Amino acid sequence: MTREEELHKGLSEAVVDMDEDLAKELAQAVVDEGFDAYEAIDKGLSAGMEEVGRLYEEEEYFIPELLLCSDAMYAGIEILKPHIKKREDAVRHTVVIGVVEGDTHDIGKNLVKIMLESAGFNVIDLGRDIPAVEFVKAAEEHHAEIIALATLMTTAMPAMREVLEVLEKEAKRGNFKVVVGGGPISPAFAEKIGADVYAVNAAEAARLARELVA
Amino acid sequence: MNDLSPKERLLRVLSNQTVDRAPVICPGGMMNSATVDVIEGLGLSFPKVHPDAEAMTRLSSAVEEKTGFENFGIPYCMTVEAEVLGSEIDFGTPVCEPKIAKERYASAADVEVRDVKQLVREGRVEAIARAGQTIAEKNPDVPVIGSLTGPISTAASIVDPMTFLKELRKDKTNAHRVLDYVTDFLVAYAGVLIESGFPVITIADPTATGEILGPKMFGDYAVPYINRLVDAIHGRGAKAIVHICGRLDSVKKHIPTLHGDAVSTDAMVNLKALKAETGIPVVMGNVSTFALQLQEPETIRKVTEKLVEDGIDIISPACGLSTKTPVGNIAAMTEVVKDR
Ligand code: B12
Repeated sequence: MTREEELHKGLSEAVVDMDEDLAKELAQAVVDEGFDAYEAIDKGLSAGMEEVGRLYEEEEYFIPELLLCSDAMYAGIEILKPHIKKREDAVRHTVVIGVVEGDTHDIGKNLVKIMLESAGFNVIDLGRDIPAVEFVKAAEEHHAEIIALATLMTTAMPAMREVLEVLEKEAKRGNFKVVVGGGPISPAFAEKIGADVYAVNAAEAARLARELVA
Repeated sequence: MNDLSPKERLLRVLSNQTVDRAPVICPGGMMNSATVDVIEGLGLSFPKVHPDAEAMTRLSSAVEEKTGFENFGIPYCMTVEAEVLGSEIDFGTPVCEPKIAKERYASAADVEVRDVKQLVREGRVEAIARAGQTIAEKNPDVPVIGSLTGPISTAASIVDPMTFLKELRKDKTNAHRVLDYVTDFLVAYAGVLIESGFPVITIADPTATGEILGPKMFGDYAVPYINRLVDAIHGRGAKAIVHICGRLDSVKKHIPTLHGDAVSTDAMVNLKALKAETGIPVVMGNVSTFALQLQEPETIRKVTEKLVEDGIDIISPACGLSTKTPVGNIAAMTEVVKDR
């Protein structure tokens, strides 16, 4: 194993072990020793977060663990980010995410945000209980390619549809891909309201979002 | 056979004594059944009802009448506790329940402990107590149930929830300090309700599900604080129902350690099997709230009949109802139980 590979492995393990300090230390080592920052995020921190996603699906990890792992990942990214060399192929795709109006359940949305970020997206998080027009406004302002909508409540499902209606009405539907998810949402509902993609969980949301911008 | 009064029946079930048939109830709070259909025609409106004792008295009477539930259940949301403890509340709309607009504290370490004796004089506590007292005096045969938001959910409604969940691991000292405080407040609040004539208290703690916390945290945090609250309720001579949301698989071993007089669960849990497996004597549930909103009365009847046949001790909705649940579906559910 080369020194660089060793650092990648260490970063990945620091994320899985929820070790924020170690993640920072190793990220700093990557910078100091002149290795590629983007590679360290991709093959180290993100790889670790992917493993965390698997542990969550296997019910080894639960929400508190997952959040602490993501903190370790963010701590590493923070240090590496300024050192990413501008590369032609590394355009950052932006996603605007939020929980639709009428609903304040935001734990699932936050997991989706974390997985999108670890997959390399620039994520603008609007929060919870967000009116339809706010999604469209933010997406335009931040030149987003994807709008991600969440709800856990059946009573808020019409508010999800409303976002698509606003896009249609303002003739902006073609400008964005729309991803939807959350407990009561189904592929059939996604199709009915004219969303592009339904994802059942955070890992799938990140995978499908990548396909959308590929 | 309907020999017992609804209150006697519920209290007997909760004491694990024989009854003529299962009670069919809905405790309020997280499991609110003051729906859009129910409030229609009363000259009342959400969100104006929430802080108004007189309006609550009328609304809860209408719930009992129109749905057929054999109890009164107040309040109609999960924000009473967080409001008193300082969070900003958005009282919602005619179709949307009150919700937390902004948690008071960024982290557990920031929480300042106030005197709970003073806190129970604030917010909607007194109005809720008064509403319950009036209903109880007018209807001595029907139980009034007070619904509390459980310790973890309340804590994660006053401290930023993501931070709080992390602090359960990262800052155990302050996490416990906040849970101590919140539980002390809940004990005092329950005390006020019991004094005002609420014979039964329900505790619902959605943020403390096995799916969110996992078995270790559920055992370390959810169980001890819920039990402390239940013990205090028992100490005041009232009964306690504990509702646990979500799938139970990962936390099943903890269920028999809960001190509640009944355990209520969501629709994915097979209550008959849960009873057999864990040996808990009294279970409550669990007509799917999605079915209640979206299916036809005929389906609701079948689902309810199955629960009655399975010998489920208390029949109720499985979890939080949508405000758009048709009242005809709820009535279908309660009729099946009463006709047996
Ligand atoms: C925790 C919880 C709460 C907490 C929320 C804390 C918080 N900050 O989020 C509190 C206590 C505040 C709460 C309040 C209420 N709740 Co609640 N709550 C739950 C519970 C038990 C768990 C939700 C959860 O966080 N799960 C863990 C996360 C990780 O899972 P998840 O959200 O499903 O996310 C995954 C996927 O869905 C997907 N996903 C999620 N979002 C997105 C987004 C995109 C874009 C994509 C692609 C994918 C995706 O990926 C995620 C991870 O892989 C659910 C029941 C349940 N089992 O779902 C009820 C539930 C959602 N609540 C319910 C209700 C009724 C309420 C209240 C209205 C109660 C009341 N009477 O006041 C209030 C809400 C008030 C309001 N208007 O907002 C009902 C809704 C019923 C309905 N008809 O819709 C539910 C379904 C319970 C039930 N079975 O009845 N609740």
